[in-house]
Amino acid sequence: MAKIYTGRDGRLLIDGTEQIKVTNWSLTGNLETLETTSLGDSQRTYIPGVQEFSGSATLLYYNDGTNRNDAAAALKKVLKIGAVSESDTVVMRLRLVEGNTNHDVELTTYITSVSIGASVGVVSSAQISFQATGALTAVTI
Amino acid sequence: MAFPSSLKPTSRQYSPGDYPVKTYNANNGAEVRILYGSRPRNMTLELSYSNITDSEANDFLTHYYEMQGTYQTFGIPSSSQTFSGWTAGADNLNLAGTGAVWRYGEPPQQQSVRPGVSTVSVRLIGVQS
Repeated sequence: MAKIYTGRDGRLLIDGTEQIKVTNWSLTGNLETLETTSLGDSQRTYIPGVQEFSGSATLLYYNDGTNRNDAAAALKKVLKIGAVSESDTVVMRLRLVEGNTNHDVELTTYITSVSIGASVGVVSSAQISFQATGALTAVTI
Repeated sequence: MAFPSSLKPTSRQYSPGDYPVKTYNANNGAEVRILYGSRPRNMTLELSYSNITDSEANDFLTHYYEMQGTYQTFGIPSSSQTFSGWTAGADNLNLAGTGAVWRYGEPPQQQSVRPGVSTVSVRLIGVQS
């Protein structure tokens, strides 16, 4: 059956926990290319180099009544008193749902930037950006 | 092994050198030049090979060691890929027109780009045999 995916099908899991009140996520993959064009060639040629993955997400700053605030948990990965250590990775799983089927991309990341603000007439939300380290750990997209 | 002339360089720079000339300048501005030889010297050929395989890069190192560094000389055929892209005939570039041969001017520079991929730069000097 034909299927158009929308934000209704999107999910974001951090360290295996599905986040509440996510308004968007995005993922970008890049492949560095190494040029192999040599003298006498008329067209440029390349070989694959290093891959890179990064992305961003926006979570409402929302307390669900049980003191669970996913946005705050993400913010604390960077907004912390101590230094960020090598072990401060988070596993991001970006998901599009189709019935019982999940189309996922999973990557181990460092959260590289966070921002939050408050404005009159606007729901407070946290914007996070993340940078993958190493290879993707799951791709079922 | 021979110089890895089956590889096409990414860039090539050739300098034809000069003849052995000594110049004398008189106080009145006159210049006198004396030619001390009939063949040029100090020809240079700089080649770079970007993003080649480690195996191809290793061929340059092997050849360098076989030439005992900058000691021994070697030729590069005019029909080789070393002169790829040059359409005017390679007799000048490969020194066939001068009777000279090449030797290494300095050790080949090998740079590892990523696993299995290297970039190599070679600088050759033309010397009369």
